[in-house]
Amino acid sequence: MSVELCGVSTAYGGVPMLREIDLTVADGEIVCVLGPNGAGKSTLFKTVAGLITPVAGTVTIMDTDVATTGTERIARLGVGFVPEGRRLFPGLTVADNIRLGHEAVRPDGADLPARLTAIGQLFPRVIERLGQAAGTLSGGEQAMVALARALIGEPKFVVMDEPSLGLSPKLIREYFDILRAIHREGRTILLIEQNAEMALSVASRGYVLARGRIVAADHAEALRASSVVRSLYFS
Amino acid sequence: MEQIAQQIINWLALSSIYALLAIGFSLLFGVINVIQFSHGDVALTAPFIAMAVFASLGALLPGADLVVALIVAIFVVGVLGIVLERFLIRRFRTAPPMMALVATVALGIVLRELIRILYPDGSNPHPFPQLVPGSALSFGDVSLSWLVVAMMAVTGLLVAVLTWFLYRTGLGLRIRAVSQDIEMARMLAINPNLVFRVTFFVASVTGAVAGLFYASYVGLMRFDLGIIAGLLGFSAAVIGGLGNMAGAIIGSVVLAALDTLVQAVFPDGAAYRLVVAFVLVVLVLVFRPAGLLGRTVVEKV
Repeated sequence: MSVELCGVSTAYGGVPMLREIDLTVADGEIVCVLGPNGAGKSTLFKTVAGLITPVAGTVTIMDTDVATTGTERIARLGVGFVPEGRRLFPGLTVADNIRLGHEAVRPDGADLPARLTAIGQLFPRVIERLGQAAGTLSGGEQAMVALARALIGEPKFVVMDEPSLGLSPKLIREYFDILRAIHREGRTILLIEQNAEMALSVASRGYVLARGRIVAADHAEALRASSVVRSLYFS
Repeated sequence: MEQIAQQIINWLALSSIYALLAIGFSLLFGVINVIQFSHGDVALTAPFIAMAVFASLGALLPGADLVVALIVAIFVVGVLGIVLERFLIRRFRTAPPMMALVATVALGIVLRELIRILYPDGSNPHPFPQLVPGSALSFGDVSLSWLVVAMMAVTGLLVAVLTWFLYRTGLGLRIRAVSQDIEMARMLAINPNLVFRVTFFVASVTGAVAGLFYASYVGLMRFDLGIIAGLLGFSAAVIGGLGNMAGAIIGSVVLAALDTLVQAVFPDGAAYRLVVAFVLVVLVLVFRPAGLLGRTVVEKV
């Protein structure tokens, strides 16, 4: 199992955020978590990343307990993160951002040139911008750099939070084509996303989060037809 | 003419000391987001440690070199920085700024009082040797001492090494990443606590060098010199743009120029140096809140 959340609850200043979340992503799956604004999606991402410690329950990534491991050791397990808002280091060059992504998974950094060549085929525009400060890129370019940074170290498992936010429809289609391509390479993906239509088009299974609770969990096709998703998104 | 030349030499000397102090303030604020108000006091422990070590070494090994004592003092102050970060300042990294301010001001008082109590006859000033004696150049009444030459050379060398370290090494890259987004850095397997330790060590070592030069330049060490050094270094960092190394250097050069001018032009001008420094700080904060080199222009660190 790539990730498993068992009865996870979190709170912020005593206010409950996530409530008794049970969620699994098996190796090789793309699983999406859908939810409207304020549902707790970003809290879920931060909890998986170990940035928020649950008040109850456990988060396990690659059979390792996140709470005892600590955020800074998770990437070494072979995990890439694409947080909401991209969160590139704006004052660093694109090359430095990507180098940090590579060394996060592969601390020796030995095969970086070869990996840059490989990643350049997926993200040709990223390679053109290597010497540019990341903060000066357009939103679409930043999204691609954030994904390239997460993938450069060839992680087995990628966790993404709202990657399509702020992208044009054309870029969203390109972005999800890339997700399909990296999934075909065998990578496991947990996609936390508000864009239900696109997320369900790539995921095999999905969960629906509302007010901190999982209110539906099913296969993508079933979720697409479910009344819960329709009431949240398509009505 | 001779007086102008002498004042230019003084300006260069003060610029070097202020720059070494201001770089420390900027590094600490840029990476840890805490204004370490006791940085000047940490820096000015170096001369006391150096003289204590020198006296001890002299008792053990007659003819021991002062250089060894200076190196030991610089290293000890670096370790002191790590200890302060680990046991005090780290706790205030995410706390409201007021808490960090009160804690670091209090820490400065503790350090000053400890020097006063623990150093023999610590309440009174003690002479501090000229680290590099002699005159490199003199014409008429104007003299460029080897000490000032050494101060400028060491400051230039330290700035170059720091720049290389921050912009050309993997650890420097990680320090810059933590300074920009600590959560994202953690998700990329960067241990922020290691980065904080290294930053405190580097800033404290730079401060120690400034402290030794300061004591040597004024020819004495006094338990309360740290507060003046700290205020001037902090002012220089704010004038240039706190959190910005190039700004710290430029702020130091500007502040030292004004400081020299005030002392040269006005009778008893030395008494007004802090007045001038803080008037400049207020003016900069009013008209250029981000400092002369604002954060928006130059990368933080």
